Amino acid sequence: MKRRQAIVVGLVVGVTASVGVIAGAAGRAPARLPNGRSVGPMVPADTGAGELLLAVVGGVFSSRQEAEAANAALAFGDLQGYYVVPVAQFQGFRQEVGEPGEFALVSAFRTDEGARAFAELAAMLGIEATILPERVRSLGGLYAGLGQEASPDGTGPLLGPVAESLP
Amino acid sequence: MRKGSQRRGGLRFLSSAIAIAVVLPLIVAFHWSRLGWRDGHVNYPSRPSGYTQIVNRFGQPCNAEARAISMRWRAADNGVMYWFSFHRKLGGRPTAMVSDKGGRSTNLDNDVYGHIQNAHLQPYIKHGIYGYACRAKRNSNEWSTHAFGIAIDVSSAEEYMGKCTSTVNKYHASIWQNHGWYWGLAFCDPMHFQYATNY
Repeated sequence: MKRRQAIVVGLVVGVTASVGVIAGAAGRAPARLPNGRSVGPMVPADTGAGELLLAVVGGVFSSRQEAEAANAALAFGDLQGYYVVPVAQFQGFRQEVGEPGEFALVSAFRTDEGARAFAELAAMLGIEATILPERVRSLGGLYAGLGQEASPDGTGPLLGPVAESLP
Repeated sequence: MRKGSQRRGGLRFLSSAIAIAVVLPLIVAFHWSRLGWRDGHVNYPSRPSGYTQIVNRFGQPCNAEARAISMRWRAADNGVMYWFSFHRKLGGRPTAMVSDKGGRSTNLDNDVYGHIQNAHLQPYIKHGIYGYACRAKRNSNEWSTHAFGIAIDVSSAEEYMGKCTSTVNKYHASIWQNHGWYWGLAFCDPMHFQYATNY
Protein backbone atom coordinates (compact mmCIF):
# COMPACT_ATOMS: atom_id res chain seq x y z
CA MET A 1 0.00 0.00 0.00
CA LYS A 2 2.76 2.37 1.05
CA ARG A 3 4.66 1.42 -2.03
CA ARG A 4 1.73 2.28 -4.29
CA GLN A 5 1.30 5.68 -2.59
CA ALA A 6 4.98 6.40 -3.04
CA ILE A 7 4.71 5.64 -6.81
CA VAL A 8 1.65 7.91 -7.20
CA VAL A 9 3.31 10.74 -5.25
CA GLY A 10 6.48 10.31 -7.31
CA LEU A 11 4.54 10.47 -10.58
CA VAL A 12 2.62 13.58 -9.50
CA VAL A 13 5.82 15.34 -8.41
CA GLY A 14 7.66 14.29 -11.59
CA VAL A 15 4.91 15.42 -13.95
CA THR A 16 4.47 18.72 -12.08
CA ALA A 17 8.20 19.37 -12.22
CA SER A 18 8.31 18.57 -15.96
CA VAL A 19 5.43 20.92 -16.68
CA GLY A 20 7.17 23.63 -14.67
CA VAL A 21 10.45 23.16 -16.57
CA ILE A 22 8.70 23.22 -19.98
CA ALA A 23 6.66 26.30 -19.06
CA GLY A 24 9.78 28.08 -17.84
CA ALA A 25 11.69 27.27 -21.02
CA ALA A 26 8.78 28.43 -23.20
CA GLY A 27 8.78 31.78 -21.43
CA ARG A 28 12.41 32.31 -22.37
CA ALA A 29 12.10 31.01 -25.97
CA PRO A 30 13.40 33.45 -28.60
CA ALA A 31 10.56 35.30 -30.29
CA ARG A 32 12.45 35.81 -33.57
CA LEU A 33 12.87 33.01 -36.08
CA PRO A 34 16.40 32.64 -37.47
CA ASN A 35 15.23 33.50 -40.99
CA GLY A 36 12.59 36.07 -40.06
CA ARG A 37 8.86 35.54 -39.83
CA SER A 38 7.54 33.09 -42.40
CA VAL A 39 5.68 34.73 -45.26
CA GLY A 40 4.95 31.58 -47.28
CA PRO A 41 5.62 30.93 -50.96
CA MET A 42 2.72 33.06 -52.23
CA VAL A 43 2.59 36.84 -52.47
CA PRO A 44 -0.52 37.86 -50.51
CA ALA A 45 -3.14 39.54 -52.71
CA ASP A 46 -3.23 42.75 -50.67
CA THR A 47 -5.00 45.74 -52.23
CA GLY A 48 -4.18 48.15 -49.41
CA ALA A 49 -7.75 49.43 -49.40
CA GLY A 50 -7.93 52.87 -47.83
CA GLU A 51 -4.15 53.38 -47.88
CA LEU A 52 -2.23 56.07 -49.73
CA LEU A 53 0.03 54.28 -52.20
CA LEU A 54 2.71 55.11 -54.70
CA ALA A 55 1.77 54.03 -58.21
CA VAL A 56 4.30 53.20 -60.90
CA VAL A 57 2.50 53.49 -64.23
CA GLY A 58 3.38 51.84 -67.53
CA GLY A 59 0.56 53.28 -69.62
CA VAL A 60 -3.15 54.07 -69.75
CA PHE A 61 -5.54 52.43 -72.22
CA SER A 62 -9.14 52.80 -73.23
CA SER A 63 -10.04 49.11 -72.81
CA ARG A 64 -8.94 46.15 -70.75
CA GLN A 65 -8.08 44.19 -73.91
CA GLU A 66 -5.69 46.88 -75.09
CA ALA A 67 -4.07 47.08 -71.68
CA GLU A 68 -3.70 43.28 -71.44
CA ALA A 69 -2.16 43.13 -74.91
CA ALA A 70 0.31 45.92 -74.10
CA ASN A 71 1.23 44.25 -70.81
CA ALA A 72 1.83 40.87 -72.45
CA ALA A 73 4.24 42.49 -74.90
CA LEU A 74 6.46 43.97 -72.18
CA ALA A 75 9.79 42.23 -71.72
CA PHE A 76 9.87 41.71 -67.97
CA GLY A 77 11.32 38.29 -68.61
CA ASP A 78 10.42 35.76 -65.96
CA LEU A 79 9.34 38.43 -63.46
CA GLN A 80 5.86 39.76 -62.92
CA GLY A 81 5.82 43.35 -64.15
CA TYR A 82 2.70 45.49 -64.21
CA TYR A 83 -0.87 44.58 -63.30
CA VAL A 84 -3.85 45.68 -65.39
CA VAL A 85 -6.30 47.55 -63.17
CA PRO A 86 -9.20 49.97 -63.67
CA VAL A 87 -8.09 53.57 -63.27
CA ALA A 88 -11.10 54.16 -61.00
CA GLN A 89 -9.76 51.94 -58.23
CA PHE A 90 -7.28 54.63 -57.18
CA GLN A 91 -8.66 57.96 -56.02
CA GLY A 92 -6.65 60.81 -57.58
CA PHE A 93 -5.04 58.60 -60.23
CA ARG A 94 -6.88 60.05 -63.22
CA GLN A 95 -6.02 63.63 -62.29
CA GLU A 96 -2.34 62.82 -61.80
CA VAL A 97 -1.91 60.87 -65.02
CA GLY A 98 -3.78 63.45 -67.07
CA GLU A 99 -4.41 61.02 -69.91
CA PRO A 100 -7.76 59.63 -71.00
CA GLY A 101 -8.33 55.92 -70.48
CA GLU A 102 -10.08 53.47 -68.22
CA PHE A 103 -7.40 50.83 -67.62
CA ALA A 104 -3.78 51.24 -66.63
CA LEU A 105 -0.62 49.20 -66.21
CA VAL A 106 0.25 49.73 -62.57
CA SER A 107 2.40 48.38 -59.80
CA ALA A 108 1.62 49.81 -56.36
CA PHE A 109 4.05 50.35 -53.49
CA ARG A 110 4.08 51.67 -49.94
CA THR A 111 7.63 53.02 -49.87
CA ASP A 112 9.66 55.31 -52.13
CA GLU A 113 12.44 52.72 -52.21
CA GLY A 114 10.10 50.03 -53.48
CA ALA A 115 8.66 52.24 -56.23
CA ARG A 116 12.10 53.44 -57.27
CA ALA A 117 13.56 49.92 -57.39
CA PHE A 118 10.75 48.75 -59.65
CA ALA A 119 11.01 51.82 -61.91
CA GLU A 120 14.76 51.23 -62.22
CA LEU A 121 14.21 47.58 -63.13
CA ALA A 122 11.71 48.61 -65.82
CA ALA A 123 14.01 51.32 -67.17
CA MET A 124 16.91 48.88 -67.31
CA LEU A 125 14.73 46.60 -69.45
CA GLY A 126 13.71 49.51 -71.67
CA ILE A 127 10.14 49.64 -70.33
CA GLU A 128 8.24 52.85 -69.60
CA ALA A 129 7.77 53.50 -65.88
CA THR A 130 6.49 56.70 -64.30
CA ILE A 131 6.16 57.13 -60.56
CA LEU A 132 3.16 59.36 -59.93
CA PRO A 133 4.33 62.40 -57.95
CA GLU A 134 1.57 62.17 -55.35
CA ARG A 135 0.24 59.14 -53.52
CA VAL A 136 -3.17 57.85 -54.60
CA ARG A 137 -5.79 56.34 -52.32
CA SER A 138 -6.57 52.68 -52.93
CA LEU A 139 -10.27 51.90 -53.03
CA GLY A 140 -9.65 48.15 -53.07
CA GLY A 141 -10.51 46.30 -56.25
CA LEU A 142 -7.98 44.24 -58.18
CA TYR A 143 -4.56 43.27 -56.91
CA ALA A 144 -1.93 45.74 -58.20
CA GLY A 145 1.33 44.27 -56.94
CA LEU A 146 1.32 45.52 -53.37
CA GLY A 147 3.69 43.66 -51.04
CA GLN A 148 6.42 43.20 -53.64
CA GLU A 149 8.92 45.49 -51.95
CA ALA A 150 11.39 45.05 -49.12
CA SER A 151 10.44 45.90 -45.58
CA PRO A 152 12.55 48.73 -44.13
CA ASP A 153 13.59 46.41 -41.26
CA GLY A 154 15.29 44.07 -43.74
CA THR A 155 13.54 40.88 -42.63
CA GLY A 156 11.47 40.24 -45.75
CA PRO A 157 8.70 41.75 -47.84
CA LEU A 158 6.65 44.67 -46.57
CA LEU A 159 3.23 43.21 -45.92
CA GLY A 160 1.49 45.98 -44.01
CA PRO A 161 1.00 49.74 -43.92
CA VAL A 162 3.79 52.16 -43.08
CA ALA A 163 3.38 55.64 -41.61
CA GLU A 164 3.49 57.31 -45.05
CA SER A 165 0.76 55.06 -46.45
CA LEU A 166 -1.71 55.64 -43.64
CA PRO A 167 -4.27 58.36 -44.34
CA MET B 1 58.71 48.18 -113.55
CA ARG B 2 55.88 45.65 -113.33
CA LYS B 3 58.24 43.14 -111.72
CA GLY B 4 59.18 45.72 -109.03
CA SER B 5 55.55 46.41 -108.04
CA GLN B 6 54.86 42.67 -107.93
CA ARG B 7 57.80 42.23 -105.58
CA ARG B 8 56.60 45.10 -103.36
CA GLY B 9 53.14 43.54 -103.22
CA GLY B 10 54.64 40.19 -102.31
CA LEU B 11 56.71 41.74 -99.54
CA ARG B 12 53.65 43.54 -98.17
CA PHE B 13 51.67 40.28 -98.14
CA LEU B 14 54.54 38.45 -96.47
CA SER B 15 54.96 41.10 -93.76
CA SER B 16 51.18 41.09 -93.07
CA ALA B 17 51.18 37.30 -92.83
CA ILE B 18 54.13 37.36 -90.40
CA ALA B 19 52.46 40.07 -88.30
CA ILE B 20 49.23 38.06 -88.08
CA ALA B 21 51.14 34.89 -87.31
CA VAL B 22 52.92 36.60 -84.41
CA VAL B 23 50.02 38.62 -82.97
CA LEU B 24 47.15 36.14 -83.30
CA PRO B 25 48.57 33.46 -80.98
CA LEU B 26 49.28 36.15 -78.40
CA ILE B 27 45.66 37.30 -78.50
CA VAL B 28 44.26 33.79 -78.37
CA ALA B 29 46.64 32.70 -75.64
CA PHE B 30 45.74 35.61 -73.38
CA HIS B 31 43.68 34.49 -70.44
CA TRP B 32 42.16 36.45 -67.61
CA SER B 33 44.20 34.36 -65.23
CA ARG B 34 47.22 36.36 -66.37
CA LEU B 35 45.68 39.36 -64.63
CA GLY B 36 45.71 37.42 -61.38
CA TRP B 37 42.32 35.72 -61.48
CA ARG B 38 41.99 32.32 -59.84
CA ASP B 39 38.93 30.11 -59.41
CA GLY B 40 38.41 30.40 -55.64
CA HIS B 41 35.55 27.95 -55.02
CA VAL B 42 35.42 29.24 -51.45
CA ASN B 43 32.50 28.73 -49.11
CA TYR B 44 29.71 27.86 -51.55
CA PRO B 45 26.38 27.21 -49.84
CA SER B 46 24.79 23.87 -50.66
CA ARG B 47 22.09 24.24 -53.31
CA PRO B 48 18.59 24.12 -51.84
CA SER B 49 15.70 22.15 -53.28
CA GLY B 50 12.21 23.57 -52.94
CA TYR B 51 10.81 26.58 -51.13
CA THR B 52 11.42 25.48 -47.54
CA GLN B 53 15.09 24.76 -48.13
CA ILE B 54 15.50 28.06 -49.99
CA VAL B 55 14.12 29.94 -46.98
CA ASN B 56 16.19 27.92 -44.53
CA ARG B 57 19.38 28.65 -46.47
CA PHE B 58 18.82 32.17 -47.81
CA GLY B 59 16.09 33.69 -45.61
CA GLN B 60 12.70 35.14 -46.47
CA PRO B 61 12.07 36.70 -49.90
CA CYS B 62 13.18 40.33 -50.18
CA ASN B 63 15.30 40.20 -47.01
CA ALA B 64 18.30 42.53 -46.76
CA GLU B 65 20.85 39.74 -47.34
CA ALA B 66 19.25 38.94 -50.70
CA ARG B 67 20.54 42.23 -52.18
CA ALA B 68 23.66 42.72 -50.07
CA ILE B 69 26.25 42.25 -52.82
CA SER B 70 26.39 44.12 -56.13
CA MET B 71 28.44 43.71 -59.26
CA ARG B 72 28.48 45.12 -62.74
CA TRP B 73 28.65 43.31 -66.02
CA ARG B 74 28.92 44.85 -69.47
CA ALA B 75 26.74 43.46 -72.25
CA ALA B 76 28.81 42.62 -75.29
CA ASP B 77 26.25 43.66 -77.90
CA ASN B 78 25.19 47.15 -76.78
CA GLY B 79 28.08 47.98 -74.43
CA VAL B 80 25.72 48.88 -71.57
CA MET B 81 27.08 48.27 -68.08
CA TYR B 82 24.45 46.51 -65.95
CA TRP B 83 24.48 46.79 -62.16
CA PHE B 84 22.71 44.07 -60.24
CA SER B 85 22.54 42.68 -56.72
CA PHE B 86 22.49 39.18 -55.31
CA HIS B 87 22.66 37.25 -52.05
CA ARG B 88 25.55 37.73 -49.66
CA LYS B 89 26.20 33.96 -49.63
CA LEU B 90 26.84 33.89 -53.38
CA GLY B 91 29.75 36.28 -53.72
CA GLY B 92 31.43 39.43 -52.50
CA ARG B 93 34.32 37.69 -50.76
CA PRO B 94 37.66 39.43 -51.48
CA THR B 95 39.96 37.91 -54.10
CA ALA B 96 42.67 39.21 -56.42
CA MET B 97 39.93 40.49 -58.75
CA VAL B 98 37.09 41.31 -56.33
CA SER B 99 37.26 43.92 -53.58
CA ASP B 100 35.90 43.09 -50.14
CA LYS B 101 32.14 43.61 -50.36
CA GLY B 102 31.39 41.79 -47.13
CA GLY B 103 30.32 38.65 -48.95
CA ARG B 104 30.72 35.06 -47.83
CA SER B 105 31.77 33.19 -50.97
CA THR B 106 33.62 33.61 -54.25
CA ASN B 107 30.88 32.07 -56.35
CA LEU B 108 29.40 34.61 -58.73
CA ASP B 109 31.53 37.74 -58.98
CA ASN B 110 34.86 35.93 -58.90
CA ASP B 111 34.41 32.37 -60.06
CA VAL B 112 31.56 32.36 -62.60
CA TYR B 113 32.42 35.81 -63.99
CA GLY B 114 36.14 35.02 -64.06
CA HIS B 115 35.65 31.70 -65.83
CA ILE B 116 33.56 33.40 -68.52
CA GLN B 117 36.21 36.08 -69.04
CA ASN B 118 39.06 33.57 -68.94
CA ALA B 119 37.42 31.39 -71.56
CA HIS B 120 36.78 34.36 -73.88
CA LEU B 121 33.01 33.87 -73.64
CA GLN B 122 32.14 37.48 -72.85
CA PRO B 123 30.89 38.03 -76.45
CA TYR B 124 28.00 35.70 -75.53
CA ILE B 125 26.79 37.95 -72.70
CA LYS B 126 24.09 40.01 -74.39
CA HIS B 127 21.96 42.86 -73.09
CA GLY B 128 19.41 42.48 -70.31
CA ILE B 129 21.23 41.34 -67.16
CA TYR B 130 19.61 41.46 -63.73
CA GLY B 131 19.63 39.72 -60.37
CA TYR B 132 17.72 40.57 -57.20
CA ALA B 133 14.17 41.83 -57.65
CA CYS B 134 11.45 41.66 -55.01
CA ARG B 135 8.87 40.33 -57.46
CA ALA B 136 6.64 37.35 -58.08
CA LYS B 137 7.11 34.94 -60.97
CA ARG B 138 5.52 36.13 -64.19
CA ASN B 139 1.78 35.36 -64.33
CA SER B 140 1.93 33.78 -60.90
CA ASN B 141 1.66 34.82 -57.27
CA GLU B 142 4.62 32.68 -56.18
CA TRP B 143 7.76 34.48 -55.12
CA SER B 144 10.43 34.42 -57.82
CA THR B 145 13.90 33.12 -57.00
CA HIS B 146 15.01 36.67 -57.89
CA ALA B 147 13.31 37.81 -54.67
CA PHE B 148 15.82 35.72 -52.70
CA GLY B 149 18.80 37.12 -54.64
CA ILE B 150 19.63 33.65 -55.92
CA ALA B 151 18.76 34.09 -59.61
CA ILE B 152 20.50 35.90 -62.45
CA ASP B 153 19.04 36.57 -65.88
CA VAL B 154 21.58 36.95 -68.68
CA SER B 155 20.99 37.98 -72.31
CA SER B 156 17.31 38.41 -71.40
CA ALA B 157 16.23 39.96 -74.71
CA GLU B 158 17.85 37.29 -76.83
CA GLU B 159 17.10 34.37 -74.51
CA TYR B 160 13.50 35.33 -73.76
CA MET B 161 11.13 33.36 -71.55
CA GLY B 162 9.22 30.73 -73.51
CA LYS B 163 12.09 29.99 -75.88
CA CYS B 164 12.98 26.33 -75.47
CA THR B 165 16.35 26.51 -77.19
CA SER B 166 19.40 28.61 -76.50
CA THR B 167 21.47 30.67 -78.94
CA VAL B 168 23.99 32.50 -76.76
CA ASN B 169 23.78 31.36 -73.13
CA LYS B 170 24.52 27.81 -74.26
CA TYR B 171 28.16 28.85 -74.68
CA HIS B 172 28.63 29.60 -70.98
CA ALA B 173 25.84 27.61 -69.31
CA SER B 174 28.22 24.82 -68.31
CA ILE B 175 30.28 27.31 -66.29
CA TRP B 176 27.21 28.31 -64.28
CA GLN B 177 26.22 24.69 -63.82
CA ASN B 178 29.70 23.76 -62.61
CA HIS B 179 29.33 26.36 -59.88
CA GLY B 180 26.00 25.18 -58.53
CA TRP B 181 23.60 27.14 -60.74
CA TYR B 182 20.59 25.47 -62.32
CA TRP B 183 19.80 26.59 -65.88
CA GLY B 184 16.24 27.60 -66.71
CA LEU B 185 16.43 26.14 -70.21
CA ALA B 186 14.91 23.03 -68.63
CA PHE B 187 11.67 25.03 -68.21
CA CYS B 188 12.02 27.09 -71.41
CA ASP B 189 13.58 30.11 -69.71
CA PRO B 190 17.11 30.12 -71.17
CA MET B 191 18.02 33.56 -69.75
CA HIS B 192 17.62 32.28 -66.19
CA PHE B 193 20.19 30.77 -63.84
CA GLN B 194 19.17 30.04 -60.26
CA TYR B 195 20.95 28.67 -57.22
CA ALA B 196 18.11 26.29 -56.32
CA THR B 197 16.19 23.38 -57.80
CA ASN B 198 12.58 22.24 -57.71
CA TYR B 199 11.23 25.75 -57.42
